[in-house]
Amino acid sequence: MTNNRLPLPFGSLLDRESTVNFSFDGKPYRGFMGDSIASALAANNQHLLSRSFKYHRPRGILTMAGQDANTLVQLPANPNALADREQLRNGMTVTAQNVSGSLERDWRAVLGLFSRFLPVGFYYKAFFKPKGMWEKWVPIIRKSAGLGVIDESHQPGYFDKQFAFYDIAVIGAGPAGMAAALQAASTGAQVLLVDENPQLGGSLNYARLDAEGNAATALLKKMRSDIAACDNIVAMTDAVCNGWFADNWLPIIQGSRLFKVRANQVLMCVGAMEQQAVFRNNDLPGVMMASAAQRLMRLYAVRPGNRAVVLAGNNDGYAVALDLLDAGVEVAAIVELRAQPKYNKVANALLRRGVTVHTGQAVYQALKGKRGRLTAVDVRKIVSQGKCADTGEIIHCDLLCMSVGFTPTYQLICQAGGQLSYDDDSAMFSLNQLPANFHIAGSVNGYWQLDTVVADAQRAAMMATNTIGKVDVEVPNTIAEPDADSPNFNWPIFAHPKGKEFVDFDEDLQIADIVNATQDGYDHVQLLKRYSTCGMGPSQGRHSALATARLVAASTNKTVAQTGVTTARPPFAPETLGHCAGRSFYPARRTNMHYRHLEAGAQMLQAGVWYRPAYYGPVGAAQQCINNEVHAVRNNVGLMDVSTLGGLEVRGTDAAEFLNRIYTFAFIKQPMGKTRYALMTNEAGVVIDDGVACRVSEHHFYVTASTGGVDQAFQSMLKWNAQWQLDVDIANVTSAWCGINIAGPNARKVLQKVCPDIDLSNTAFPFLGFREGHIAAIPARVIRIGFVGELAFEIHVPQHNGEALWDALMKAGDEQDIKPFGVEAQRVLRLEKGHIIIGQDTDAMSNPMEVQMSWAIARKKPFFVGSRSLIELGKMPLQRTLVGFVVNDPQAPIPLESHLVLQGDQMVGRVTSCNYSPTLGKPVGLAYVPLPAAEPGCKIVIRAADGVLVTAEVVTLPFYDPDSLRQEV
Amino acid sequence: MVSASPEHHLRRSQLYRIHQSAGAYFEDQDGTLSVSQYAGNADELGQARRLGLADLSTLSRIGFKGHGAPAWLHTQGVLLPEQPNQTLLQTDGSLLLRLSAQEVLILRALHPASALITQLQNQVSSAAAQHAYVLPRADSHCWLALTGEYAAQTLAKICGVDMRLHKFAQGDVAQTSVARVNAIVTRYALEADTPCFYILCDVSLAEFLWVSLIDTMLEFGGQPIGLATLRQLQPTKPSSPS
Repeated sequence: MTNNRLPLPFGSLLDRESTVNFSFDGKPYRGFMGDSIASALAANNQHLLSRSFKYHRPRGILTMAGQDANTLVQLPANPNALADREQLRNGMTVTAQNVSGSLERDWRAVLGLFSRFLPVGFYYKAFFKPKGMWEKWVPIIRKSAGLGVIDESHQPGYFDKQFAFYDIAVIGAGPAGMAAALQAASTGAQVLLVDENPQLGGSLNYARLDAEGNAATALLKKMRSDIAACDNIVAMTDAVCNGWFADNWLPIIQGSRLFKVRANQVLMCVGAMEQQAVFRNNDLPGVMMASAAQRLMRLYAVRPGNRAVVLAGNNDGYAVALDLLDAGVEVAAIVELRAQPKYNKVANALLRRGVTVHTGQAVYQALKGKRGRLTAVDVRKIVSQGKCADTGEIIHCDLLCMSVGFTPTYQLICQAGGQLSYDDDSAMFSLNQLPANFHIAGSVNGYWQLDTVVADAQRAAMMATNTIGKVDVEVPNTIAEPDADSPNFNWPIFAHPKGKEFVDFDEDLQIADIVNATQDGYDHVQLLKRYSTCGMGPSQGRHSALATARLVAASTNKTVAQTGVTTARPPFAPETLGHCAGRSFYPARRTNMHYRHLEAGAQMLQAGVWYRPAYYGPVGAAQQCINNEVHAVRNNVGLMDVSTLGGLEVRGTDAAEFLNRIYTFAFIKQPMGKTRYALMTNEAGVVIDDGVACRVSEHHFYVTASTGGVDQAFQSMLKWNAQWQLDVDIANVTSAWCGINIAGPNARKVLQKVCPDIDLSNTAFPFLGFREGHIAAIPARVIRIGFVGELAFEIHVPQHNGEALWDALMKAGDEQDIKPFGVEAQRVLRLEKGHIIIGQDTDAMSNPMEVQMSWAIARKKPFFVGSRSLIELGKMPLQRTLVGFVVNDPQAPIPLESHLVLQGDQMVGRVTSCNYSPTLGKPVGLAYVPLPAAEPGCKIVIRAADGVLVTAEVVTLPFYDPDSLRQEV
Repeated sequence: MVSASPEHHLRRSQLYRIHQSAGAYFEDQDGTLSVSQYAGNADELGQARRLGLADLSTLSRIGFKGHGAPAWLHTQGVLLPEQPNQTLLQTDGSLLLRLSAQEVLILRALHPASALITQLQNQVSSAAAQHAYVLPRADSHCWLALTGEYAAQTLAKICGVDMRLHKFAQGDVAQTSVARVNAIVTRYALEADTPCFYILCDVSLAEFLWVSLIDTMLEFGGQPIGLATLRQLQPTKPSSPS
């Protein structure tokens, strides 16, 4: 390892016994288990991590907390990985992204020289003229705007979700979060403690709280031990709470799982985010948040530099300087922004170490060396807010730690309805107007000293546990006034005539960009955000919001409180589509005969939510298979799984009256043992479903419905009877029954072999009859109906008997060479017979008259759903009608569903069904056409695939067996 | 325990092929075959106590609904919970789930000789006359049992209802979504310390739910278990209503 590593006790996350080999931009490196990519690179003196979005400026570590875009790198299957959060793994291949040329020599960096020609919103101003130019620019802009590269060969990983329920969810496991969790748990509450870092403790893991540097370690050890001893605290590390939703619904991501947490009470102990100072070249590698330097040292044992300057606007900077000294870093100076600093014990300890303090001064600009890294700072006296003296002192350094203030981590709290306000004296945002059952504590609530942080957390926890009745003690709303000694310097922003003082690192936005945007008229932060893209980058304004608010406020003569910040929306941190999707649950229904179809070589299709056999045979011979199946049914016998048909039991003394109202036909006088076609319309008279109603007994009907329409039909029935209050019970028994349609001239012959207790003769069991009996010893309901236009029996048996019924019929039909047929053959067969399919041959406007089903309307009935509309529709001339057509030209392509019917260049109709008919030897179909074109013999023109015009002839329906001699034998 | 294949029986679980490929031994129950236990798991009882999944779909069950259903069931000696979404153990060991004010579902006991369902099946005509209409629940729904210490955690991955044992008590019923499938879930009493959830969903989705559950259980080492193992976790005859 290089000498950039610090000895123990630095590096609490490292396992120094485990070396990890990895590469960055093709160069091999070594780190330790526990390193992040960024820390391992820093340990190897590789401080340049990326290039900026717009000007391709060199960028390095800024926060070491996964809160900035500087550390975005490319992993083979994962673009835009945060190098300061991504744990190092052996063999990892890491590359820089958004680089033109190489990371070290990025030729697009020259753009920085032309930055004055690329002002804020320049693309809105530059690329829209002349007309049509925008389309030319789009690919160029998109190419230059891209960050990482997607690996299109990447196979998605396994993601899932888990629901979790807690009395109290504490988000953030720093000193406040841990104290709150312990307090809440002491009442017996079930507590969830969540932290995005690998270990509990938050700032206790890296911050220096006392001059000696012992306080944090001691407290952390005790709190971790206490939490581990609590059975009712579940602690999740490496877990991000990525949003807040109504009723305390929290999406928490840990690894490849999204936890969907519902908490009675939420305590947000999410801390605060350190903010950068704004000065020229504040983005150079080597310029970082003071807390980032502490994290590098304490968590990863990395010496962040050799000679440091600390820019301090508070006493925390002095603690950092002490840490640097302890780590062997030379501290060249403290640049103290405050003119009259109030030192605490820690600051005084630093002063005793003899470090030079430049009081009332600022870093006016950072200076860079050949490799773009910080080499010195230009320190000048502050003469007024944001103004520096004309001359100053150059201090050489390779590390500048900025400790000038914080913003509360407000995102999740604002999502919950919390409001930000700003106090000019403390130069701090604060949060208020919290919703019920939601609490904040610690530094996010304006407390900065360890004792007040802990006390505030305990107060919040007591309020939460009081609310859920775990304890009932009097709790003050606040423990005290928020700590008076604010860590925020009020104006750490220093403009430079040459610019490059970055407010938003993600988007390379400088002070002038923000000010100019307000002068362009975008003087509201929401407008400014969209115009300038400030806060729209990967860090989502974590470090730009406060500086932007200050600059906009100054530019528009408003207060920072009036200016505010932009809306914080979920997700808080980047999340993958895999997390959102979770496991792929795709429930598809299977009949009891499903595997028999597969064993018979069926090609399955999904019909709605069901798997159904399309046809039986190889994919390459689909049409031949379908033709064979049609032939078998027309000339011999076939069987089809119709289990997917809807089944409804309608029972009660008003069952017949109920059906009379629900369907268009008449059912009052329907004899027992008979079935009747049942056509359902809605209030507008639109056809919505069909089936048959079998009268099982005086007060019992068994009604079938279409595969896709049964749920709607069932709901419609329930809805109407809620109004009618008839004495009827309706049950959806679709899944309880399996169905097989055995059809063809030899159907009776086959069925007779396995049906001893039903007389299947045409006289005893005529067309549209209904019988109950046994098929192969299985209790069965048998219906004589003929959707396919042949002698047919539809057999319904209990679901678990379905496969046994299939086996019995196949065995019984063996002598007749029975063949299974699928949905495709059925579509052809029913089309030949002129039967429509609701939903395919009808649309949202189709009424019975249009589809030539006036015969299915019992007009003498006093009422049925849709009757009033149909009476009115009947008074008006039909605008279109469904007709049958044939294509006589054997060379013509076969029209497909939805192909248009044309008259000249006018669209006058469309095809709803069309198939080649093996029986007729030509294509047949159904189409909506205007009435003048509906007469048999009329020629209609259909625009088929590739615009080919096909002439078809309208014919009388049905195409096959018009006298129904075959199905009623 | 018999070696016969479910294919020799008229009633077959949607899942029998999965069971066969997992090395199931079958036993005759209610005139058809149920998985008794699986080959290759030397400690199926321990498995059930940790995390097991059993297919009870071929066991008898029945449902009734209608505004006369509660009164008619009362005349048949059936005990009804006061409120919907509760269960009540019947004197013969069968379990009644009250799904609404006017609908019940009755599951037979794990041990044979539940007489109630047969008794009610023989009375469906008289039930209809009293506005109590039979529902073919033995065919409309599959019936799975998820057992063991990790059962609630398994459900937490695929069901939004809080099924933790101190929240979802013995006898509670949830009509909810499990792995995006409409399901009825209830807690059933096995031996102490071995939670058991009965899960019933549309029978046409049985395979989907089974596969989803097995996949969900992998994290906790879950495996299929048979009826014989499940019976070992229950006293021969439940002594009192839950």
